Amino acid sequence: MTADIALSVRDLTLRFGALTAVADVGFDAQRGAITAVIGPNGAGKSSLFNLISGAIAPSKGSVVLDGRDVTGHAPHRLLAAGLARSFQITNLFFDLPVHENLRLAAQFLERGRGALRPIASSRVATERVAELLDEFQLGARADALAGTLSHGEQRRLEIAVATAARPTVLLLDEPTQGMSHADTRDTGELIRSLSRDRGLTILLVEHDVDLVMSLSDHVVVMHQGHKLAEGTPAAVRADPKVQSAYFGTAHA
Amino acid sequence: MADAVVLPTPKAELSPTRAIGATRWIAIFFFAIALAFAIVAKSLGDTFYLRLATEALIFGGLALSVDLLLGCTGLLPLGQALFFGLGAYASALTLKSWGDSFWIALAVGACVSALVGIVAGLIAIRSKGVYFALISFGLAQVVSKIVFNTRELGASDGIIGVPPAAVLPGVASTDPVAFFLVTLAFVALVYAGLAYVMETPFGRQLAAIRSNQHRLAFIGFDPKRAKLAVFVLAAAIAGASGALYPMMRGFVSPELMFFQVSGNAVINVIVGGTGTLIGPLYGAALLTALRSVIGSYTEHHQIVIGVLFMVVVIVAPKGLIGYAAALIQRRRTRTAA
Amino acid sequence: MDWLHFVLAPQVINGLSIGVAVVLMALGLTIIFGLLDVINMAHGEFYAIGAYVAVALIAAGLPFWWALALTPPLMAVIGYATERGLIQRVFHSGDRHTLTLLLTFGLSIVVEDVLKLIFGANPLRIDAPIEGATEMLGLFFPNYRLFVMLFGAMVIAAVWILVFRTSLGAMVRAAAYDRHMTASLGVPVNVVYAATFAFGVALAGLAGVLLAPIYSVFPTMGTDFVLIAFSVVIIGGMGSIKGAVIAGLVLTQIQSISSLWISPVWSDPLLFGIMVVVLMWRPQGLFGRLGHG
Repeated sequence: MTADIALSVRDLTLRFGALTAVADVGFDAQRGAITAVIGPNGAGKSSLFNLISGAIAPSKGSVVLDGRDVTGHAPHRLLAAGLARSFQITNLFFDLPVHENLRLAAQFLERGRGALRPIASSRVATERVAELLDEFQLGARADALAGTLSHGEQRRLEIAVATAARPTVLLLDEPTQGMSHADTRDTGELIRSLSRDRGLTILLVEHDVDLVMSLSDHVVVMHQGHKLAEGTPAAVRADPKVQSAYFGTAHA
Repeated sequence: MADAVVLPTPKAELSPTRAIGATRWIAIFFFAIALAFAIVAKSLGDTFYLRLATEALIFGGLALSVDLLLGCTGLLPLGQALFFGLGAYASALTLKSWGDSFWIALAVGACVSALVGIVAGLIAIRSKGVYFALISFGLAQVVSKIVFNTRELGASDGIIGVPPAAVLPGVASTDPVAFFLVTLAFVALVYAGLAYVMETPFGRQLAAIRSNQHRLAFIGFDPKRAKLAVFVLAAAIAGASGALYPMMRGFVSPELMFFQVSGNAVINVIVGGTGTLIGPLYGAALLTALRSVIGSYTEHHQIVIGVLFMVVVIVAPKGLIGYAAALIQRRRTRTAA
Repeated sequence: MDWLHFVLAPQVINGLSIGVAVVLMALGLTIIFGLLDVINMAHGEFYAIGAYVAVALIAAGLPFWWALALTPPLMAVIGYATERGLIQRVFHSGDRHTLTLLLTFGLSIVVEDVLKLIFGANPLRIDAPIEGATEMLGLFFPNYRLFVMLFGAMVIAAVWILVFRTSLGAMVRAAAYDRHMTASLGVPVNVVYAATFAFGVALAGLAGVLLAPIYSVFPTMGTDFVLIAFSVVIIGGMGSIKGAVIAGLVLTQIQSISSLWISPVWSDPLLFGIMVVVLMWRPQGLFGRLGHG
């Protein structure tokens, strides 16, 4: 059975002068699957995400989304092609209420239709906001300013904003960063349901190795900008190269 | 990187949408008082205060254009007088050569400024924060100096002998009450229009840019397009306000483009209340009155204005109406809870 | 060859004498930004105050050289007081960039009008303290301009040495690079800030004194000059000392030489145009930022 590849990355490289943050990284993300990118600090995971999500243009290489080359496209064009991302450092509209954060992201669903019509008449966006508040359990905090939310709530809102425009490919940059154990578990469930129930292709950067192992279908390991290994969670865990990179020794 | 010099948006403050919503009655009050003032002034046969008030409103229009950029979008313009002056010159030239139609002069003023705004905007919006402020400052300095040295535009003397505009058949712009009401209507329309715009997807994008420009691209909107659009809109509003100036005063001069005018507009906005739209109008009214009162004692009114401004920046940066808006909003959320 | 000699060379010398003064101002501005992260919109006014202080001292009977010696320390005191009294008040708010920009902008309005109040709106002149010209290479160069060039160059070199070769300078650069760490190392950061601001202001005042005999002195001279200063700093890179020096000298040369062909009205627009182009191409300016490269 041929795999349906939603996102494909080839020879992706990012150089800043003498420093190479990402070197010739390539992998495929299967549609509907959860692919995790892991690696020690400084491995280049965030830079990789920035390359894929259009935050920065690569020095070399390509990003192909649903068969279309989107290398170097700006983030808003990528969203139109179906790719969205959340951020490791919470990147919300802090002085706007939760529902407005969601509405702004949901407005994309009605782009091209009346930038000067009153907000109240954007039914599609309004309904989507209600959906998201429900799905991400933020209903009780809908009127609160995003900056007043607890850390866990903010991280949830981060993901919600990223999914608002119904992307097909979702990049999650350390979604459980700073979360309590319980919140991490819940977020893991959320991510699993996004993949399983809504068919999103998810690319995940995570430090929580247990979460990654239990959640992902496929794992890519990075080390000092290179792809070190890739495969199923079990295969990667057993790989001596990976163990040596993480722990400095190979386990028997 | 230019990001290092970004003026960060104040996180604890009211978003413009809420600030505008919270001050609706304060806005209505403003226009009601203005109308009452007109009635009283007319019955007393006054012309001086009507003219002064009209001037305050004209500069209020300029202040609105500054607040659209600063309060609503988070862009600090230090050269908005450029568009104000261009509109004034365009209007003056139109009235001198193309007949006395109020509407045509107004339209020409707005359009000339908007066109220049497109060019200036393409340059300015690529930069953020202090760079935007300095580019807009520099543009105004440069163009005003060119105008100052251009003989065809009257050089340092400007253009004098501008005939009054015909607002309606038989009603000239030199009629103090009529022109006050016309200017009031203009300002009211601009205010209402901008308040409406802030309730549209476009307006909300502006507030989003002010809040976190970086994220906007990742939720699908190109911030550059929105910034260019708002820049041109602000230029048009400033130009239209400027167009009214020669109709009342009968002349224009390069001083209208000088930094002092841009600076005063920013002061009007900050003292009045950034992001409230009605605050800048109160600010313009208050400071015009203040300038006039002090001006009767000394010509060094800018010292007082400057000191007042610095005090506001240190002690009350939200501005008069800004604090009122915050109070109203707090009371609303408390009663809603 | 003749053209080079009789037309170009004088322009180059002129450009250099203005250039060192512009560099002094730009240095002050860039150091203030590099360390304090403050956009000093009042920098032009400090330049003007320097010139007016010199005018006042000379009017009181002091020779120019006394004015030259006394004005920078006086400006330093004014700068220190401004930083402690005004800028510190908004320095620790989260909105520092906007508020300090607005505050110094307000200050510039007040200062300009105060100068007009005290000295009147008419331009004032100081006679050049050194008269005559020196013959070099078959040309006559005004002695005062030569002095400005040499003196200015010495001061710039001294600043360079101070910042890059002394431990005081190292401390300032460290504080620019990482405020919090430097504070936690026991450095009295507030005093460092105020002193740095004072230093930057003193440089602007010095430029004012040096240029006073060349240009006339009038209340709005600050606003005119601040655009040049900011353009140089932005092109050179905000916070970069190397950038301020190189951009300052090169840009004044461009202005000076181009005045052979274009009317002086266009010389500021030219500079501004260059600034815009540089900003488009390289938003961080030509060189890095103090402490960063």
